[in-house]
This record gives sequence, structure tokens and C-alpha cells, in this order.
Amino acid sequence: MSERAAGTAIDAEALARRLDEAWENRKPVAPLSESEGLEDLEKAYEIQTSWSELRLSRGERIVGRKIGLTSLAMQEQLGVSEPDYGSLWESRYFPAQGGRAEIPAEPLLQPFLEGELAFLIGRPLSGPGVTLQQALAATDALAVAVEVVDSRIEDWNIKLPDTIADNASYGGFTTGPWSRSLREADLRTVGMLINQSGSRVAEGLGAASLGHPARAVAWLANKLASFGTSLEPGDIVLSGSLGRAVPAQQGDVFVLEAHGQPPLTVSFA
Amino acid sequence: MDLNQNENALLEHIQEARERGEAKAPKAEELGIGVESAYKVQAAMGEGRKLKGYKLGLISPAKQTQMGVDSPIYGRIYEGMILESPVSLSSMIEPRLEPELAVVLGEDLPPDASPGAAHSAMGGLFLAVDFLSSVWEDYEFGAADVVADNASGGGFLLGERLLIEPLEGNLRLYHNGRLLTEGPVGDMGNVGERLAWLSKAVGGLNAGQTILVGSPAAASKAAPGTLELHGPRGSVLVANLQD
Repeated sequence: MSERAAGTAIDAEALARRLDEAWENRKPVAPLSESEGLEDLEKAYEIQTSWSELRLSRGERIVGRKIGLTSLAMQEQLGVSEPDYGSLWESRYFPAQGGRAEIPAEPLLQPFLEGELAFLIGRPLSGPGVTLQQALAATDALAVAVEVVDSRIEDWNIKLPDTIADNASYGGFTTGPWSRSLREADLRTVGMLINQSGSRVAEGLGAASLGHPARAVAWLANKLASFGTSLEPGDIVLSGSLGRAVPAQQGDVFVLEAHGQPPLTVSFA
Repeated sequence: MDLNQNENALLEHIQEARERGEAKAPKAEELGIGVESAYKVQAAMGEGRKLKGYKLGLISPAKQTQMGVDSPIYGRIYEGMILESPVSLSSMIEPRLEPELAVVLGEDLPPDASPGAAHSAMGGLFLAVDFLSSVWEDYEFGAADVVADNASGGGFLLGERLLIEPLEGNLRLYHNGRLLTEGPVGDMGNVGERLAWLSKAVGGLNAGQTILVGSPAAASKAAPGTLELHGPRGSVLVANLQD
């Protein structure tokens, strides 16, 4: 069967419902790349969009986007040369208060935690041709962020089309306070530590995300343009993991520290 | 854009030089073309290309007097001219380098914007390197020649960190560890005034456009190697140049 024929046989809405059931019931499904022969990336984004629309119809809101597969290590692991993106659903946004955020473990399937930089977009940013500098100029503030990645695919056995369809393995997120001065930092050299129960379990560096976190934001604006959308004022962008992903389970407490920023404590309750 | 016969002749002369990658003798004076007509030639040369911003040239009064003009000049920045390291010099004619600053506009600017309004419209300020590429032999040209040749615009590298005002100190450009050229940031004058002048000259500017606001230092020949630009408060831009 040709790729095209395989692609046309796939019912995006039906697969979106299947992923949504996995999300709601916390029962992972077989990789769509295996069970459905999903290969086409546009089709995978179509499933993702379909899933978002399904959730929006039930009152969900999109508060921004996340960029995935921004590190060379992750790209090599999946055999890809480009990042992917998903939508940040508000029902899984847990803003920190007083430097602490509580993330409920119960709705998650197989979560990992990643340290990132979040961008708060202040001015419309539409591709194509957006540069890193334009992305920075359109940003109002930055914050340290913890993203929970989670997969509706069994055992994280994902290929690129699987994670794209699965909303780029979005699980939830939290951010520290928005900082305007972090905008003016050399974002390539911003370092991060993740501590768990008082021990360091991961470290990260700004340059780990496509060489510069704002390059990832520019990539996103250009990618969105190919789907006829853009970044708008008020959008939050998670710009990609700065280090390795750390497995998380109920009862775990993590503290994320970044140079010049207040620590961010995340409890998996 | 409608060009007269002489403007067309200058356009073809420049295009031919670009295609062959060979410098030529200046031609505007012989064709009786002044600065105003030269801007028409510049605009016609970029027709159909996507505009990303502008560069300013001849920002110092001394250079303006030398060239017989009483204002800076501008060139257009098109898609593809904003470069990333490594930079290939092979498509440029006698490339030279200038240390500069670049502004990315955060807001639209009307043609009659005041310098203060222009300053407020800045979304970000970055280190920049201007890669000059001129079709005129040894960069010996009249003002109309250089304007018609898109103000010698070859390409631009931009820093990856927002600069914080007030800006002080020098822009210092190094090649393979050796100082090539330097100039004080203070010599660049008021960035808001430059943007306001440009906005008036081009009939308004748009949010997201990148503006190279001129150089405080002499241009220096470009060659393969490691380029470093050091600027205010420890800011740096490092790039690799290749043939």
C-alpha cells in the first residue's frame, strides 16, 4: 500500500476520540504508527487538531503551545531532524503560588518532568521567515517552567507521528513568576538544576533547545504559519526541555532552580 | 515600478555585475542619475522579494560630507539576507564587515513618528555585523551608485541576546583573534532619531522589521575564519566565515 493510500484510510476524528479516551480513562493505546500505519506527519497534526477541537467543544481552552524534540539527543532517539509542537490545555495548567505548585498525579498515565523556559508572547508573531531576534522582540517576559510530559501510547513506544498525534506528549505544566529581566539574559547560558528529595537528578542549559530557546519559538511561529495560524499576545510557549526528562510519581517533590530566578517547587500530589 | 531609460541602464548594469560576481566602475554620474532616481533603481531591483527591514549607511556627518549628501542613506533587507553562522562569503563581491547594532521593531511606526515614539517602538536591540558587498570597484562610488546598489547590502548577522540601554563602550570586531575594527557606541547617535528619519524616508515602518542602524567604525575586509563582535556589558556575537 502506498503512503498516500495508508494516509487517506486514516480517520483523524476517530483516532482523536481514541486518544481522548486514553487521556480520560488513563488507559494507554497501541502506537498509531503500528496499529494504523500512521506515517504522514500532516495527518498526525490533523489528528492532534481534531483532538484539540474535541476538547474545546467541551469547554477546554488553549493557553499556548509547547515545543517538543528540541534537543539533539531526543531527535536522534526518534530519528528526526525537526522539533514538533502541541497545544497547552488550560485544564492542566497549574500556576505556582509563592514558588510552589501542586500537580495531581492521579490523572496522569506515565509522567516525566522536564525543566524549561516559558515565553509570554506580547505581540503577534506570524511566520514564515520569523527570526530568533523577532521572537525575542515579540516576547513580554519569561519564566522558568516545569512541563509534565505524558504519553497515551503504551510504554512510551512512540515514533514521530505518534507523539505529534498525541498532542506532542503533553501532560501539564507550571510556571514560576514572569520575569522581564530574564528576557535580557543570555538565554543560551541560563542553567537549571532539578532536585528530587534533596538530590540533583537533572541539569539543563538554555543552549540545549535548538542552540537557543528563542530559536525554538521562531521555529514554532514558522511551523504554525504552514497551518495558517500564528502566535498571539497572551500565548504561553514552552520552548523545549533543557535537560533529561525525570520520571515522576505520586508523592515526589521536585525543586527546579535556575540562575537568578526564585526556586520552583513541584509536588506530585 | 516605472524606470526611465537611464535608470533602467543602471539597473541592468548592477544586475549583470551581481550575476557575474564582478565589480565594475561607477556609472550613475555618467547616466545623470541622482540619489532620488537611485532609490527607484534600488526598489526595482528588489521587486517581488519579501522585505524584512532596512539598513542605514553613511550615518556620520563626516562620511556624509565626503559623499556630498546631507542625510544617511538606506538599503533594503530582504528575506534570505539575515544570515546564520557559518556564513558563506562566496556570493558576495569584495565583502567587507562593519560592527553594528540592529533594532527589531515591536510596533508599527507612522512616517511622521517622533524620535521618542520611534524609541518606544523598539522591541529589541541586538549586536549585528553588516556584510557589505559592492558592485563598485574598491568601494569607490558616488552616493547615487551606492544607493542604487542597495547600500552595499550583502547580508547580516544578528546577536542572540537583547541589549540593555543605556549602551556604553565600544563595538570591537575581531577576526581570528585579531582586532579588525572598533568604534564607540556613543558615535552612533540617537537610535530613535535614526528610526524616525528612516520611517519618514520610506513612508512608515512595520512591527517585526529589522533595522540595522549604522556603524561607528570603518569597514574591514572579510575573510574566512572566526569572527567575534564584542559589545556593551559583555555582549558577544561569534560566527564562522567560510569561502
